[in-house]
Amino acid sequence: MSEPCGWTGQILRVDLSSGETSTVDTMQYVPDFVGGAGVAARMAWEELSPGLDPFHPENRLYIVTGPLTGTLASGAGRVEVLGVAPQQRPSIFSRSGMGGHWGAELKYAGYDGVIVQGEASAPVYLWIDDGQVEIREASELWGKGTYATTSILRAIHGPQTRVISCGQAGERRSRIAVIQTETGNAAGQGGFGGVMGAKQLKAIAVRGTGGVRIARPDAFLDLCIGASREGQRPGTHGVWRWRPRRDGARSGARSGAESERRRFRVRKCGFCMSPCAHPIVEHVTATDGTGVPSVARQCWGYMGTTREVDAVARALTSDYGLNGWEITFGVIPWLEMCKQHGLIDAIDGLEIPIPDRPLEYMTDTAPYGSEFIHHLVHKIAFREGELGDALAEGTCYAADQLFGGAGVPLLDRIYPRHCGQTEHWGGHWGPGGTIYWPWWLPPVLQWCVDTRDPANDSTHQWAEHVQFYLPESGPRRGPFPLEKVRAVCARVYGNADVCDPAYTYDPPEAKAIPAIWHSHRGMIVNSLILCDYENTRVFSTATEDGLADTALMAKLFSACTGYDLSEAELDQAGERIWNQLRAIDVRYFSRDRAVDESTIDGFMYPGKDDGVMLDRIKFLTLLDAYYALSGWDPATGWPARAKLEALGLSDVADALEQSVRVTG
Amino acid sequence: MGETDPTLKIMTQTLQRSGVIAVERSLCLACRECEVACSLYHEGECSPSLSRIRVRFDDFVPGLPDLIICKQCDWPACYDACAARWEEPAVRIDPATGARYIDAEKCRGCGDCLRACPLTPERTVIGVRQVGRKRIYWMCDLCHDRPEGPVCVQICPGEALRFVPADERHR
Repeated sequence: MSEPCGWTGQILRVDLSSGETSTVDTMQYVPDFVGGAGVAARMAWEELSPGLDPFHPENRLYIVTGPLTGTLASGAGRVEVLGVAPQQRPSIFSRSGMGGHWGAELKYAGYDGVIVQGEASAPVYLWIDDGQVEIREASELWGKGTYATTSILRAIHGPQTRVISCGQAGERRSRIAVIQTETGNAAGQGGFGGVMGAKQLKAIAVRGTGGVRIARPDAFLDLCIGASREGQRPGTHGVWRWRPRRDGARSGARSGAESERRRFRVRKCGFCMSPCAHPIVEHVTATDGTGVPSVARQCWGYMGTTREVDAVARALTSDYGLNGWEITFGVIPWLEMCKQHGLIDAIDGLEIPIPDRPLEYMTDTAPYGSEFIHHLVHKIAFREGELGDALAEGTCYAADQLFGGAGVPLLDRIYPRHCGQTEHWGGHWGPGGTIYWPWWLPPVLQWCVDTRDPANDSTHQWAEHVQFYLPESGPRRGPFPLEKVRAVCARVYGNADVCDPAYTYDPPEAKAIPAIWHSHRGMIVNSLILCDYENTRVFSTATEDGLADTALMAKLFSACTGYDLSEAELDQAGERIWNQLRAIDVRYFSRDRAVDESTIDGFMYPGKDDGVMLDRIKFLTLLDAYYALSGWDPATGWPARAKLEALGLSDVADALEQSVRVTG
Repeated sequence: MGETDPTLKIMTQTLQRSGVIAVERSLCLACRECEVACSLYHEGECSPSLSRIRVRFDDFVPGLPDLIICKQCDWPACYDACAARWEEPAVRIDPATGARYIDAEKCRGCGDCLRACPLTPERTVIGVRQVGRKRIYWMCDLCHDRPEGPVCVQICPGEALRFVPADERHR
């Protein structure tokens, strides 16, 4: 196959220290590692060194697309970013994804990904124009927000230029800085904006006029259209209500003067026909007079006193390139807790609001006004004062520096193993409790073994494509009776008990199996790359037996690339990628079972929605089952040689044994 | 000019009217699935540059997206220009839908259709591809050979695109 279908066939490597660019042949890694995160994991395995500091020039940003990126497959606008992540504590190799149009544009420009390594001596940006690559000086852009950076680059390179950039926060090596694209998409978790800043890379601008070749166009078209029909599921992502209708009505819009003042545009991320969209609010002005021309609203938000506070704060966060999720669900609740414990009272004279009872759950957070949130976000972005400088590191690092460490115990509820990323605390999942007892046990298992908050590629499917269908979970009533649910589970997971409320910790397989299954599928999702809200599907209301087409991703992959992989073969590729990532973690960052187990402490409190607390002793049996079913050593939590060899990773097994001899 | 002058012939005959893809900009979600669906159906490749429909928007500039697609004119200048130049014109009219389309077999690559279009380049999309030494022009054909109708209309998640048949369009 001289002209590959799906992949463009080459990955761009840019060394900012030497100013040299080269290409890597994608095809040496596929189809074994699929693309996206899988290919990046394999390259990182070959290139990283032990304990690499995230801000060291040798750290790399793997900004990658997959074979389906830029195609008609629903959710195919995404791009995945991997690297040693500064937000994580301690820093480990991690990942974060974003939607938008940039990933597709990169493929149209002829590349499957960009590897950025080294460190520029002065601010630069990368300009990729249909296969022509230029490192250009960016002194004019340095100090600008992501919005202005995008607009300036569009003025220079044309209105259809797609841009990813870091804001002022990233320039200052904030550990909670994001890589931003458009108004509402960002690779948010991991602090990869700070890595861009450390490399003095302000932005990557792309324009591409090529395309993605499809091996079997007719079959692919039919698959994509069929998949979008099946995607219409119950309880879909809440923001969909903003979609405008032909009759002019908007189901989510409130009547009255307030809503009439607002002007909406409704957007999807690029290249997706899923039932999901976000409104872009135009001309927002908060009470202190600050305003923005437009801002995208996503599933999360600031707990401001009014919606305008939220909208403007959100725009500021995106513009400065900060992780709003971390600030709204980590920094601010922690500051409120600190005030309740007498550690701090106000920030530069601005009172920190507190709830009238002890803050125990995310939803207890007291709402705040625009002056407070703007001041705080600004302080963090520009590292102003001792507080701003510390919080720019994220709460977990800041807690060590502030108040003589007295705020460290308060992290327990928010941050499992104080790892730098907030749990969806409040019900072991999130506000409103998308996942109820006992169904949050598999996500907690995923939390234990993953390198990031798994509530993206791994856990979202478990919520969107499983939980919504169950007859009873917490207060929710789904469409399927228990017998039907059991029948689907028997076919998908090979275990009918997985979604049966009669089973909690026992048998442990009933929870370990879905935890593993969805992580493996998650690796396929972020390697193809598809949206994690859309895939992988388990249940469906479109079929009589309630079973979704679980082979959909394999069919899409095969029709797109021409490499015919069965569902089982693609699942094995997912398992291979998962093990490869685990091996990176073990070899370079000393991951073992003890680290996994320390995650449990973050869940040792009663859930807000169900009042249930994790039972540590019983949960350890789940972890045992997880390792056993994964083919990992139950004592160390390392992938065992037999498993690695079965996955075609015997060189990984050799290297891991070598590192045992070195370290042990 | 004699009686057989093709231009004169065209001017005096009544053309079959066409359906059209009606666009409602306020419903467009700017996902660009129409672009990749169009190029996939027509060219076997997902490439907005090969799409007969274009979505133009900038999230940093308030306003609705622009959707650029062939208007399937009652009096199509592209059709006239092609017929005026060639004995066997490539721009044709589909008897079922009335779609004005370019027959790739017959296209000689002169580009008169593109130059004749009164809406070029802002409001319609006529493109060209190189096949060996031959240049072949393409434009929206309303997917007239597709039983399900225009593919962009079928996949649009915002229902911003709607196929309006000839009789409804002119009612």
